[in-house]
Amino acid sequence: MSPRPGFVLEVDRSTPATMFWHGEGFRLERLPVGSRVVYPPEPLAALADPEAAIRDALEHPVGDSEPLSALLRPGMRLTIAFDDVSLPLPPMRPPDARQRVIEAVLDAAATAGVDDVVLIAALALHRRMTDDELRHALGSRVFDAFAPHGLLLQHDAEDPSGVVHLGMTDQGEDVEINRRAAESDLLVYVNINLVAMDGGHKSVATGLASYKSIRHHHNVKTMQQSRSFMDRHRSELHTSNWRMGRLIADAGVKVFQIETTLNLDTFPSQFKFLQKREWEWSLKDRAGFQATRAALDRTPPAMARQIFSSIRSPHALTSVQAGEVEAVHDLTLGNVHRQQLVEVSGQADVLTMGLPYICPYNVNSIMNPILVACLGLGYFFNLYRGRPLVREGGVCIISHPTPWAFNPVHHPSYIDFFEQVLAETSDPLEIEAKYEQSFATDPWYVHLYRTSHAYHGVHPFYMWYWCAHALQHLGQVIIVGGDRAAVRRLGFKPASSLADALEMAEDVVGRDPSITHLHAPPLFLADVT
Amino acid sequence: MKEIVVERSVARFAAARAVALVAGSGNGISVGPLRLADRDPRDLPGPEWVRMQPLLSGICGSDLATVDGASSRYFEPIVSFPFVLGHEVVGVVEADGGARYVLEPVLGCLARGIDPPCAACAAGRKGACERIAYGHLRPGLQTGFCADTGGGWSEGLVAHRSQLHRVPDDMSDDAAVVVEPVACAVHAALLGAVVPGERAVVLGSGTLGLATVAALRHHSLPASLVAVAKHPVQRELASALGADAVVAPGELERAVRRITGSLALPRSGAPTRLTGGADVVFDCVGTAQSIASSLDVVRPGGRIVLVGMPGTVRVDLAPLWQREVTLVGAYAYGSEPTSDGPRSTFDLSFELVAAARLERLVSARYPLERYEEAVRHAAHAGRRGAVKVVFDLRRSGRASWRSAAGTTRPTAAPAASAPEGAHDARADASATAPARKEPAGRRRPAKTTTEPVEAHE
Amino acid sequence: MSGTRTRAAAREGRARGGTLRSVLAAPTWPGSVERPVRQRQVGVDYDTAWSRSPAARLARAVIVDNVTRPFVHLVASPRVVGRELLEPLRGPVIFAANHSSHLDTAIVLSCLPSRFRHHAVVAAASDYFFDRRWKGDLWSLTLGTIPMERTRVNRRSADLAAALIDDGWSLVIFPEGGRTEDGWGQEFRGGAAYLAKRCDVPVVPVHLHGVRPILPKGGSRLRPGDVAVRFGAPLRPHGAGDSTARDEDARRFSARIAHAVAALADEAETDWWSARRRAADGSTPDPRGPDVAAWRRGWTLPDSRRTRPPGTREEPSAPW
Repeated sequence: MSPRPGFVLEVDRSTPATMFWHGEGFRLERLPVGSRVVYPPEPLAALADPEAAIRDALEHPVGDSEPLSALLRPGMRLTIAFDDVSLPLPPMRPPDARQRVIEAVLDAAATAGVDDVVLIAALALHRRMTDDELRHALGSRVFDAFAPHGLLLQHDAEDPSGVVHLGMTDQGEDVEINRRAAESDLLVYVNINLVAMDGGHKSVATGLASYKSIRHHHNVKTMQQSRSFMDRHRSELHTSNWRMGRLIADAGVKVFQIETTLNLDTFPSQFKFLQKREWEWSLKDRAGFQATRAALDRTPPAMARQIFSSIRSPHALTSVQAGEVEAVHDLTLGNVHRQQLVEVSGQADVLTMGLPYICPYNVNSIMNPILVACLGLGYFFNLYRGRPLVREGGVCIISHPTPWAFNPVHHPSYIDFFEQVLAETSDPLEIEAKYEQSFATDPWYVHLYRTSHAYHGVHPFYMWYWCAHALQHLGQVIIVGGDRAAVRRLGFKPASSLADALEMAEDVVGRDPSITHLHAPPLFLADVT
Repeated sequence: MKEIVVERSVARFAAARAVALVAGSGNGISVGPLRLADRDPRDLPGPEWVRMQPLLSGICGSDLATVDGASSRYFEPIVSFPFVLGHEVVGVVEADGGARYVLEPVLGCLARGIDPPCAACAAGRKGACERIAYGHLRPGLQTGFCADTGGGWSEGLVAHRSQLHRVPDDMSDDAAVVVEPVACAVHAALLGAVVPGERAVVLGSGTLGLATVAALRHHSLPASLVAVAKHPVQRELASALGADAVVAPGELERAVRRITGSLALPRSGAPTRLTGGADVVFDCVGTAQSIASSLDVVRPGGRIVLVGMPGTVRVDLAPLWQREVTLVGAYAYGSEPTSDGPRSTFDLSFELVAAARLERLVSARYPLERYEEAVRHAAHAGRRGAVKVVFDLRRSGRASWRSAAGTTRPTAAPAASAPEGAHDARADASATAPARKEPAGRRRPAKTTTEPVEAHE
Repeated sequence: MSGTRTRAAAREGRARGGTLRSVLAAPTWPGSVERPVRQRQVGVDYDTAWSRSPAARLARAVIVDNVTRPFVHLVASPRVVGRELLEPLRGPVIFAANHSSHLDTAIVLSCLPSRFRHHAVVAAASDYFFDRRWKGDLWSLTLGTIPMERTRVNRRSADLAAALIDDGWSLVIFPEGGRTEDGWGQEFRGGAAYLAKRCDVPVVPVHLHGVRPILPKGGSRLRPGDVAVRFGAPLRPHGAGDSTARDEDARRFSARIAHAVAALADEAETDWWSARRRAADGSTPDPRGPDVAAWRRGWTLPDSRRTRPPGTREEPSAPW
């Protein structure tokens, strides 16, 4: 039986309760009759022989590119950049897609006798990965061959001698990227394209860039003009990155882009109920759900986080394409859409969503309130093509415990942003004007970003800018089951139950609102007509 | 004449200390050395002395330390038992036709009849008097700690003319009663010598802390002024009085680090110490913890002004030594060097109280008979939404001239019946909160008690 | 008055507390008396003679047979190949082995026939095993180590080793001078060849296969695995006695030893026959690995020499 596409359910009286993600836990909620629930498509079949598919892609590149083996020669400088710990989510069961691809690239390099090879984690302004995370992403064979010799690097956007300014785009945007990458004879970028926003020119132009360069597209104006940033052709974020990417190519940086797409097989077997439709839950699923929920209720939050962090997703490769960036990315988008697009007709007054325990920025960490806002209003809200799932002036109801808790190692600047900036205002424009510069240049954050495992000082701002489009579009944001003080600090309204939240929403959108529930993850892209 | 007497009783001091340690500050009062006594008015100690009837008399942190039996033994030779507590006093002198005065409680050479006075008194720095245990009075650093003068927690005391400062007619009793603690804060703020562009931190948001914030705002130009406040009312007031940032105690290191752009030194199991930090820290708490905290956030070569009264504390002074930090005490007042020449601290304090409307610090009034309740309220002022708790000793007969002055706050209910006036200040502050309507999607946090309003005025 | 009492008490207290203190603390040395220079008795200067006394030999024999060997069998399950080649050997022998782990010494000792096992000394780095007295005591008792400098032939240690060989002791030596960092072999140093020539004794090449994954250099955790120990045919220095050609010959002899160990390594990775054929036509792979960029050395390292991933590391301490 071929996998079924996504599905929009209209809730009737015999619909079972709908599962909502709720951080490290779940809620079962009865949505009002007439509400719509958007379910993701079922996972596409995996590639039968991923190794062969990778080798085939490397030797038969798309666009204006020679095969990889023809680009490799002794004496050359080869740099392999790869996506960092923020992808994929949850982390993949080994072997990771990056490991498979990089091993193939390195085998080709070894065959060609390339001595000068460096691997770079394309962190942008994310935290440095730990050795364990690098080993997980790359596999032991690659890690042990490179890490002990200092050839496995992590991009350092704050190393003044480690970045090089390549020029300005016609829109006056600085393009400044990793020096080693820019000065290599060949830059191979290995992507995991979990969602439609990943990859393309954004890989190099953002992943290997400095703050000076990233600030041109990571700002409130750009984000408000990205409708949505999951739709590359209507995303100002991507347009800017494309300009930069073309400048990078014109500056003589030869990029060999490798993009991989994954299917939606997101959760391991004991959590399979998470990607099934509730009325299809088997006895095993129902028992599993109840047992999991009961166990989680009795588990301290730190331990629950650990349990969830140890989830390794069975994600499987659905396609690999390599070659020239734009040609590759067009194919990739097609493959992402083939798996993830769900047609939805019409907008709703109220959009509900349950947020899971993980977002790109809290792998092996705590989902702090700023990340809750970013995942809900940044990512989930933007999982649309065409029009948002909720009408302008509508209400977004988010279910998440939103604890007032931070990982001080990973998110030191987030703590200050929450305590000092959000205490004063939650207006993205005001925040950007008043505080961004001082956080971005704070020497302590720079130090922690460069030497520890901390996100850059400016990163919490980007999280807030990510919400800017939603904040502008929505009439109200309500968080169900969250820490009241934390939710208020975000500028949202706390509610103790979904029913209360819907009552509150009626004050904004009127009686008997239409409701759409985003039943994710697994992640999908709503094609709203 | 009623008064609250503190007697020398080692056993009762010990009992008060034990109870306070177990049950918390203020609770030692029931077993402590205080009792409500009735006695004849005192004799005047000398020619320049007059009788004063307190109108309002504040409860100060040092009074609470006495009540809890927690005062340093250092004070033993410079107090004389039995004494009557209370040194924050506004009262009337019948001999002057009922004129209102604020008492400057320090008992310096002049009051003690010592002539010639010591060098400090001669220079007007009464707080630094070297003769506080000598002269024709028994020992006592201030009125309120001397057996011969009585104190403010009473219906009558004796004062030397040099101790009296006339209250302007347009100043309310509430404003006048905080002149003394505000003078301490003014003295501390000026001692801190904040030059324009420096960054200051004020630890503690009781009366002294808030007054210090106001004094710093009034007398200097700090580039940023961070106040540490635990409770919502304190946060509102600190912000209203001019703090740029008001942070919770646990947020102090982070806030100072952010503002000063310094780095931090992680320590396991302890708060982080900053590599840089604030130029001046005003410690208006005076505990081991607050001094340690001050040392954590002061920059190398910076200053710590100890405004709150400390006792025997255990503090690691290694950072003081290594960072060459100046730790200076700020006890009382006297004369302050200003650009217009030396001026009396009390004069500056009168000005500040009026300019910053510090009468709003007075949040609850109690009759003398309910002193135990009053002290307990004062001990938990912040938590219970109060700042300054005072004894109200006004007799109904005086109400006429007070209303004649036209400055009594209309909201002030007869104090004896309404100690719950504690909430007045807060009601005032929140009334100023802007009720802004904002565009959808950019709403500010709802104004509630957990999200204190910043009432900039 | 109270001051007097305090002082008196202090004086008395000092006298009382002083009894214990005078026992524990060494007396101070008068400034006017010259202090003799104390002999350094660690490093190469550590005297191991005591460890070859009958009592110490007996103790070591008990330890090696009852502690070391069972331990080695538990964590390394050694498989010995070529022990029959040692049969004809009489008298002292030098065992020259590759070196990748602290376990190597214990494994080699455990796998030697008992006549060598209980009459052998191990050349051990003086800067690591003899830098403290207690370490010298421990290792010379349990393993029979003697101090040896890694980087050069120290007169004193060479004399000691030669004297011991002449006295009938066999010597276990790791000519690479230290454990491998990256899994590939290192240059052989000349000590084994020099001693073999000087004392005219045979050298037995030894190869240890699979020890690095159990406990690599820098590792802190034992991960039990399987080890193969190969003994090669004994080598004798050619043309002994000619003092003029001696240096040159020692170097060549050393190369021959290294080659023999390399052939054993080849055999461990493949099989005896193909290794012999490659040895014969001079195409034995160099255990030192390819002379290419570090990543390619790592990339081509055989699995048997790879270390296994360490356990989860600690997170850095939080700044707040």
